[in-house]
Amino acid sequence: MPKIRFILHNGKEHIVEGDVGTSAMQTAIDNAVPGIIGDCGGNASCATCHGYVDPSWLDKLEPINEAEAAMLDGAMRVEANSRLTCQIKLSEELDGIVIRLPISQV
Amino acid sequence: MSANSVEPVAWDPYNPVYFKNPYPVFRRLREEAPLYFNEEHGFYAVSRYADVERGLRDKDTFSSARGGILEIIKANMKLPEAVFIFQDPPVHTAYRTLLQRAMSPKRMNALEAQVRAYCAQCLDPLKGTDRFDFIADLGAKMPMRVISMLLGIPEEDQEAVRQSGDDRLRTEAGKPMDVSLEVNFEGDAYGKYIDWRMEHPSDDMMTELLHADFKDQTGETRKLTRDEILNIVNLVAGAGNETTNRLIGWMGKELAEHPEQRRAIVNDPSLIPQTIEELLRFQTPGPAIARYVMRDTEFQGQKIAADSIMMMLVGAGNRDDRRFVDGDSFNIHREQRPHLGFGHGIHVCIGAVLARLEGRVALEEVLKRFPEWHVDYDHAELAQTSTVRGWETLPVFVGPKRSVSAPKPQPVAAAPEVVPNAPFEGTWNLTVKGPTGPQPTVLVIERAQAGFSGTQTGQGMTSPVHEVTVNDNKVSWINHVTKPIKVKTLFTGEISGNNMTGKVKVGFIGSYPFTAVKQ
Repeated sequence: MPKIRFILHNGKEHIVEGDVGTSAMQTAIDNAVPGIIGDCGGNASCATCHGYVDPSWLDKLEPINEAEAAMLDGAMRVEANSRLTCQIKLSEELDGIVIRLPISQV
Repeated sequence: MSANSVEPVAWDPYNPVYFKNPYPVFRRLREEAPLYFNEEHGFYAVSRYADVERGLRDKDTFSSARGGILEIIKANMKLPEAVFIFQDPPVHTAYRTLLQRAMSPKRMNALEAQVRAYCAQCLDPLKGTDRFDFIADLGAKMPMRVISMLLGIPEEDQEAVRQSGDDRLRTEAGKPMDVSLEVNFEGDAYGKYIDWRMEHPSDDMMTELLHADFKDQTGETRKLTRDEILNIVNLVAGAGNETTNRLIGWMGKELAEHPEQRRAIVNDPSLIPQTIEELLRFQTPGPAIARYVMRDTEFQGQKIAADSIMMMLVGAGNRDDRRFVDGDSFNIHREQRPHLGFGHGIHVCIGAVLARLEGRVALEEVLKRFPEWHVDYDHAELAQTSTVRGWETLPVFVGPKRSVSAPKPQPVAAAPEVVPNAPFEGTWNLTVKGPTGPQPTVLVIERAQAGFSGTQTGQGMTSPVHEVTVNDNKVSWINHVTKPIKVKTLFTGEISGNNMTGKVKVGFIGSYPFTAVKQ
């Protein structure tokens, strides 16, 4: 199972495993990683699963679709490597991906 | 409470007893009937966190297209497309996408200074007061001003608009909402502003909606019609007023009840955001969300047929011990985990960012001025609507509790006060100490042409009372109960001050004591 390294804003790390095809958001929720809310359940409709993907992993992700782009456009603290983690589907290729979390999702 | 209960658990959303405190029965539902069926009103309910979350996520099985309120689903009414909270994809998606842009986190958070100014406007005039009302002085005012500013409603018309929205969804205690009379999504309160905004564009949401390029569910890009804008504005205004108002009421109540936690927040205001989350979890303003079942499904290993109605009890899921350690306790220091207070899934509250902002700023501004308060329960009142649960009025005394339990500021004689006996007419919270534990009921007595009439509500039903006699402070009445069994009950009581005590003779089964307190 692919692993994700979530790094909280305070520097604390959570390394969690998820099934292939599961989203990074859901994997975080299933493992009680603090700092991700995921209110809309993975529909790119709330921007409460915002994360910063380590630049070395960005090319391996599916491109940002229209819905995600619209949400990121209106989200807080957006950087060039911002993604909604509900739109990151785990694959073997993403094993070890590093995602930093913002100070707050709201 | 459930240890020696023999009655199967029953939850009736219209019973004022459960409305006042639904949590004991929510606990029983989670433990004894995690898939519950209410025969009388014809709905299923799930109450465990995982089940509610799953149900709200599964938009294909649990549809919103017939409405999200029990009465509306039952009425099987035609709902306007632009009332997108009561739609499924792709209609829902089209409108939601448009609104999401208008209510993005960036835009909502940019309103902080304005929200703070409105809070100050509400609270500054209260300086030096020894009492204020969390609802009348803050909850009913600030969110309305914020949402009106967003929409573009002039300040002088705001109160009338809020009233019309509140009344629309209000239900009488113990009664379902009257769908035919009260649901009117085209309510034209905003029509004149829309027409005016057509001629006088500004930087508000109405103007934005008038000019937006709307990509509808067919993929066509067009402008919104006047009716669509009216629907959306009604929706946003209603949702933005009532729910945040309730959050502010619960803030006043729970932080009065938990002074040690309130003091911790005063000492460390960085605890405020998690306090707002805990309030939303512990006293969820919208405790139940209804859905229409599109296809056969199952919960808890039991089958549910298509065409059923399912209530998602987010207020119960939010107290589930499986999810939150000691879920029935209020603890701002608890481990932070997502809750269902804003719903979940594609219909999750679109104004959540604004609500969180308003809650946080309101609490910051209250605590700056009033670090201590306690509730005047004699004058506080819970409101009941089909969608929200919260305080209609929540007056509080400023300062720590002991100082105000001293005599009120009026010439007071040293002699002990004699409370005059309350008249029988009015509302009594009456508890029968029955064989299966305390049975709460609500007795409402009115003066009739000859004598008295009234009703008594308990065990999920309301029945008229008969043969009411009043003899000085001694009263009696008869109630023909049909649940759990058909039986005649004769109550005889004695009023003393605001209290009444007595006995109820239950058919041939026996006599049980009761106590009652006048509301």
